[in-house]
Amino acid sequence: MATKMITTDDGTTMTIPEMLKSIERYNPKHFPFLEKYVQEQAKENTYDLDANLAVLKFYQFNPHMMNLPITQLILLKAITNLPFSDFVLCKYLLLPVQMRDDTVKEIIYIADILEQCDFVLFWQHVQNKDKNELFEKITGFYDSIRKFVCHVVGTTFQTIDKVYLSRLLGNIDDKQLTQWVKKNNWTLSGDLVTIIKQEETIKTKHISEKIDFESLGGLMANCIN
Amino acid sequence: MYSQSDYYDAEYDDYPAQDSYDEYELQNNYYQTNTIPEVVKNFLLYLYESIQKCDVYNIQNLYENSFPKLSETYFEKKEWPDEKEVAELVDKDDLFMTLYKELYFRHIHARIQGGPQFEQRVASFYNYCEFFNIIFLQKPEDLELPDIWLWELVDEFVYQFQNYTQYRARLSDKTDDEIEKLAEPSNTRVWNILCLLNVLHSLVDMSNIKQQLEATAKGEDPNSVAGEHGSLSLYKMLGYFSLVGLLRVHSLLGDYHLAIKILEPIDISKKSQYTLVPACQISTSYYVGFAYMMMRRYSDAIRTFTSILLYIQRTKQLYISRSYQNDQINKQTEQMYHLLAICLVLHPQCIDESIQQMLREKNYNDNMYKMQCGDLEVFRNFFIFACPKFVSPCPPPFDAQDDYVKEPLEHQTQVFIDEVKQQLELPTIRSYLKLYTTLPLSKLASFMDKNERNGERDHDRAVAKLSTQLLCFKHKMNNVVCTKGSGLEGKFQSGSELDFYIDNNMIHIADTKVSHRYGDFFIRKILKFEDLNRRLKKVYP
Repeated sequence: MATKMITTDDGTTMTIPEMLKSIERYNPKHFPFLEKYVQEQAKENTYDLDANLAVLKFYQFNPHMMNLPITQLILLKAITNLPFSDFVLCKYLLLPVQMRDDTVKEIIYIADILEQCDFVLFWQHVQNKDKNELFEKITGFYDSIRKFVCHVVGTTFQTIDKVYLSRLLGNIDDKQLTQWVKKNNWTLSGDLVTIIKQEETIKTKHISEKIDFESLGGLMANCIN
Repeated sequence: MYSQSDYYDAEYDDYPAQDSYDEYELQNNYYQTNTIPEVVKNFLLYLYESIQKCDVYNIQNLYENSFPKLSETYFEKKEWPDEKEVAELVDKDDLFMTLYKELYFRHIHARIQGGPQFEQRVASFYNYCEFFNIIFLQKPEDLELPDIWLWELVDEFVYQFQNYTQYRARLSDKTDDEIEKLAEPSNTRVWNILCLLNVLHSLVDMSNIKQQLEATAKGEDPNSVAGEHGSLSLYKMLGYFSLVGLLRVHSLLGDYHLAIKILEPIDISKKSQYTLVPACQISTSYYVGFAYMMMRRYSDAIRTFTSILLYIQRTKQLYISRSYQNDQINKQTEQMYHLLAICLVLHPQCIDESIQQMLREKNYNDNMYKMQCGDLEVFRNFFIFACPKFVSPCPPPFDAQDDYVKEPLEHQTQVFIDEVKQQLELPTIRSYLKLYTTLPLSKLASFMDKNERNGERDHDRAVAKLSTQLLCFKHKMNNVVCTKGSGLEGKFQSGSELDFYIDNNMIHIADTKVSHRYGDFFIRKILKFEDLNRRLKKVYP
C-alpha cells in the first residue's frame, strides 16, 4: 500500500513515504492524496499512523481546510491500533473546533472506555445505540477491538473463565470463541481457557547489591599503606 | 513555494519596509547622540578580527565571557549600540553585521523590560533570514563559529518563534493599532511556522547530518557521506542542532511522534563530538523525556530523565560559572525532577539511588504521595510547571478580543489529565497487591469496594469492576520500550516494579525486592573519614 506510486498534478510520481519526508510533509499539493489515503485505510483495513498524523498536523497549520469526517476516520483508525497509544497521540493534535464536534466527542468517549479496558461497557454501548453506522466506516473495526482484548487478556491471565472471556469479546458464541482461542494458541478445557504459563515469566525479582572492584580497590590499597 | 531554492531567493529582499523602520529609529534616537564606550568598541573590533581570522578559541572566549560581562556592565537594561554605528566600525561587513544583530536582538529578548517591540521582533526575524541566506546561498567556507554559539543561535531562533507566537496570541493587552499591524498580510509571514520548518529542514538536508550519524552508528566513516558542506564543522553542527530544534518545535506543537521520529539517527545515551555543549544535551533529553511521557512510554521517559539528571549532578561544576547558561539549566533540571516524579507515580520503578535521594531531599515525596492518592490538582500543577511552552502555529482571529495564548497549554494539559484519570485507581490496587504474594480476586474486591456491602449482587459487581481495573493495570503498565537503536520503535515490556497474573480467581503477585545497599553507604563513609584524616594531618603534621 505505502509503496504505491501516486501521480501528482504536475506529473511527477511519488510514494506516500516520500510525501512525508522532511519539508515535503507540509506541501499542500500532496494533501489531497493524504486525505484520500486515510479513506483507503478505512476501507481496506490497512494503517499508517505517520501519514494520519501528518493530515492532522496539516489541519493544525491550515484550520480553514479542516475536514471533520476525515478527522473522525483518523481517530477511529487510531482506536483499532490499541494497545499502542496512537489515539492519544492524535488527540494531542486536535483543534478546539474538532474537540467540540459531537461525533468526535463520542469517539473520544469510546476510546476512554477502551483505554480503561471496560470491554463489557464498550459492547453494551455499541449495541444499545445506533452506533453501527459510525463503526462500519472502518472495515474490521470490531475484530481489531477483539484483538486488543486478546492482547490484554493474554498478558493478565493464566487461566480465564470461558463465559467471562466471551463477554469480554462481545458476547460471541461458542463457535467464534473457539476460533479466537485457536488464533491465539490458547487451549479450551471445560469451562476454563488456558492462556499461557505466566508463572514462568512473571516472577519476583531480587535486586542485590553488587560492588565492583574499581570502587573498592583503592580503599583496600589504602589500608595496606 | 516549498522548494528549497525559493525560500532563500528574493522573497525577503523587499525588506526593510522603510516607514516602519523610521519609526523604529526615532525611538532609538538616544544612540545617535551617544558614542560607543571604548571597551565595547574594542570588544567589537576584536570579535570582528577573530571571526575574520577564524580564531575559534578567541571567538568562544569573547562570546562566552566578554559579551555577557559587557552586557551586564554597560547594557543591563538597554540595547546594545545601534547597528549603523557598529557598521562603521567593521567596514559594513554583511556577515559580521547579521551576527552582531543576532546578539543585539537576543539581548533585547533577554534583558529589556516589557520584551521586544513588534518592529524589533520583525527585524530580528528578517535578520535570521539574512543570516541563513548567507549560509545557504553564499556558502562561506571560511566561516567558523564555536559550537556553543551555533547551538544558542539555533535554539534562540526557535525560542523567538515561540515567543512571537505567544505574543501574537495575547490580544487583550494590545491596542487596535498593534493588532492591525499584526494582521497585516505582509506581516503574517513573519515567524511563520513553515519558514521555521523550512530553515531547520534545509540545514539538516544540506549538512547530510542524518546520513553522517547513521554512518557513525554503523561504524563507518561519516565523512564518506558528508558531502561538500557536511564535512565543514559549521554546517555539520548547524545540521545537528537543527535536529534538536525540530524536536523542540514539534514538541511545542504537541506532535510527539514526529518529535521522537526526527531524532531517530541520534542515540542520546551515547557521547560523541556532538554532545560537547551541555545545554544542548540537557535540552535534548528534556524534550525527548517529555515526549516519551506523553506517548505513555514511562519506562523510556524515566530512563531518559535519570540518565541526564545524573549527568547534571556530575558535571555541574563545569558550567556553574556561566550564569546565563546556568539559569536555563537549573530551570530545566527542576522541570525534569517534576516530570520524573509524575512518571514514577504512574509507573513505579527502581531508579538510581542518588536520584532517589535528590527526590527525597527536594521534598517531592509529599506531592508524590498526593498524586498516588489521586489528587488531580497536584498532577495538573506539576504538569503546568514542567511542560514546554506550547504554541499554536496559526494566528488567532484578530477580530476577537479574547486571549488565545493559553489554548494550546489547556488542550495539552486536558489530554494529559484525561490519560491520568484513566489510571487513577491503579496506585490503590498496587498498594494492596504489594502486601501479598497471592490474593483471591473476591478478597481484593472487598478491599476496594468502599461502599457498604449489602449482599451477593453488590459483591459480584465489585469483582467485575476489579477485573476491569486489573486488565487496565496490565494495559497501562505494558509500555513500549526502546530496544536497540531506534528511538521510536520498541517492544511491549512491563518494566514496573510490581507485576501479577490471574490464575482463574487467584491473583499471583511478583514484586521487586531490593536489598539494602550497605556497600555504597560504607564506601562513602570510609572516603569521608579518610579525607578528614588527611586534612587533620595537614593541620597537625
